[in-house]
Amino acid sequence: MIEDTLLRLEGVGRALAGRIVVDDLNLTLDRGTVLGVLGVNGAGKSTTLKMICGILSPSAGRVLISGADFRENPRTGASAIGYLPEQPPLYAELRVEEYLSFCARLRHRSGTLLKAAVNSAIDRCGLGDVRHRLLGNLSKGFQQRAGIAQAIVHDPSLIVLDEPSSGLDPLQSSNIRSLIRELGKDRAVILSTHLIADVNQCCDRVAILHRGKLRYDGPVNVLADDHSVLIRIAADVKSEAWTSIAGVESAQFVDGAWRIARSGDASIAQLSDAIVRKEWGLLELRPQQASLEQVFLRIASADDVAVAA
Amino acid sequence: MSLVVARNEWRRLFMTPLAWVLLAAVLAILAYFFLVSLGAFLTLMPKIAGIADAPGVTDLVVLPLFRGVASLLLIIVPMLGMRAIAADRQNGSLVLLLASGIGDARIVLGKYIGLLGFIVVFIVFSSLMPLSLDIGTALDIGRIATAIIGLILFSSALTGIAVAASAATQSPALAASIALVSNLLLWMLDAGARYEGVSSTFINYLALPTHLEPFLHGIVSTVDVVYFVLIALVALTLATRRVGALRTRG
Repeated sequence: MIEDTLLRLEGVGRALAGRIVVDDLNLTLDRGTVLGVLGVNGAGKSTTLKMICGILSPSAGRVLISGADFRENPRTGASAIGYLPEQPPLYAELRVEEYLSFCARLRHRSGTLLKAAVNSAIDRCGLGDVRHRLLGNLSKGFQQRAGIAQAIVHDPSLIVLDEPSSGLDPLQSSNIRSLIRELGKDRAVILSTHLIADVNQCCDRVAILHRGKLRYDGPVNVLADDHSVLIRIAADVKSEAWTSIAGVESAQFVDGAWRIARSGDASIAQLSDAIVRKEWGLLELRPQQASLEQVFLRIASADDVAVAA
Repeated sequence: MSLVVARNEWRRLFMTPLAWVLLAAVLAILAYFFLVSLGAFLTLMPKIAGIADAPGVTDLVVLPLFRGVASLLLIIVPMLGMRAIAADRQNGSLVLLLASGIGDARIVLGKYIGLLGFIVVFIVFSSLMPLSLDIGTALDIGRIATAIIGLILFSSALTGIAVAASAATQSPALAASIALVSNLLLWMLDAGARYEGVSSTFINYLALPTHLEPFLHGIVSTVDVVYFVLIALVALTLATRRVGALRTRG
């Protein structure tokens, strides 16, 4: 049976210089998923990724790669993972092709297998035109691509990318995002970022880390309802007319529609009944989901308030 | 797997201007030194020709040149080796090796072999100069061979020290300084004892020249071989532990 859970973190924690950077992290990741790890700078994203890739040993808990403890099977673990750190691990004095050949040799590829692996990585990452150029002379976008190519050259089942689109222009970021989506089809990808657009565009699932703790782990599209509703009606009414309805806390007219904030105990059915009774000519009623950005900012700022208090 | 790392290290050394410039400059210095001592020998030769068992060209030209090579190695090995691990840590490329699962000892050994290979090339190039004399005169090839073996063993210890120093810090310049100071300390460790006329104590055993000189005189002794191998082993063990500590201490 093929194990589809490629990664499992069990109570993983890490302290650096006496400070807890990552605390009691539990996470699983299946094949075919692109997981976005979102967090502000210093949230513990890079430390978590380093522990997943065996660069840093966890001070608590276990990292299981395809069910096997990384510490007990470092070689098996390493062969299943491709890792692109924040700073691509490139040798500026090597040419793209020889660098990738070295990476493939490190991962026990030789002969025709090595050639095939290098060519496939070059093709997937669109490095064909620069394969004979020195890495040090490439643009940031191509260097990042070469970094991704080294992460996939040994055909790993889990790809870990630390801020792959940092420092890239919008076109380069968009290219990298399409590449990540493509890679996520038949393997698992973990993508750390502080850019919400990255998560929205490439990820199926998002994990929000804050101060070393996992604060949210779930699908990107289904985020918690924040109790607001977008309503378009035919009648011309004032906001006081809205607040007179039971359960409506405030009403704002924005771009031809009303944004209604309701109290937690008032259901959407009650609200629509009230509008129909008032004969305002209901044209559209759309429950608003909190955007990823709102959830993220709420998590980040709530803690800051708590700390300030 | 160490050989994959070694090959890459070797290749990258040849790609950097530092190695080429250093190689060219040092060989130029040695060539000058060689020509000066050859000139001096040619002036001296008629005067000592009549003396029985007089020192020959091997004693007066070749071996002083090898001593010069040894002194230069004390300086150039730290300069060539400073980047081995420190620069990889600084520019983030060490992660590539750490994440590959090949193990810390193999990473260190690979770096060491790559660097030592380059230094052996330098020793071979330096030896070609005195060996060219064989065209016109009779050289003591046996002694020259032991001297070359001695120099290679000597540089295997220095390379170990350079790799260990490079693992100890992220700054290549600091790594070079640490290695240079360690080399000079080991070179001069027993200077005081020798000044007092003591030549067989533990402090003499610890010093580098004590073990290099016999090779220059054509003597290969197990004690000397073991000394150089031990220094290299201790240094590589320290380097491996330091690389391992990157995973645990961050």
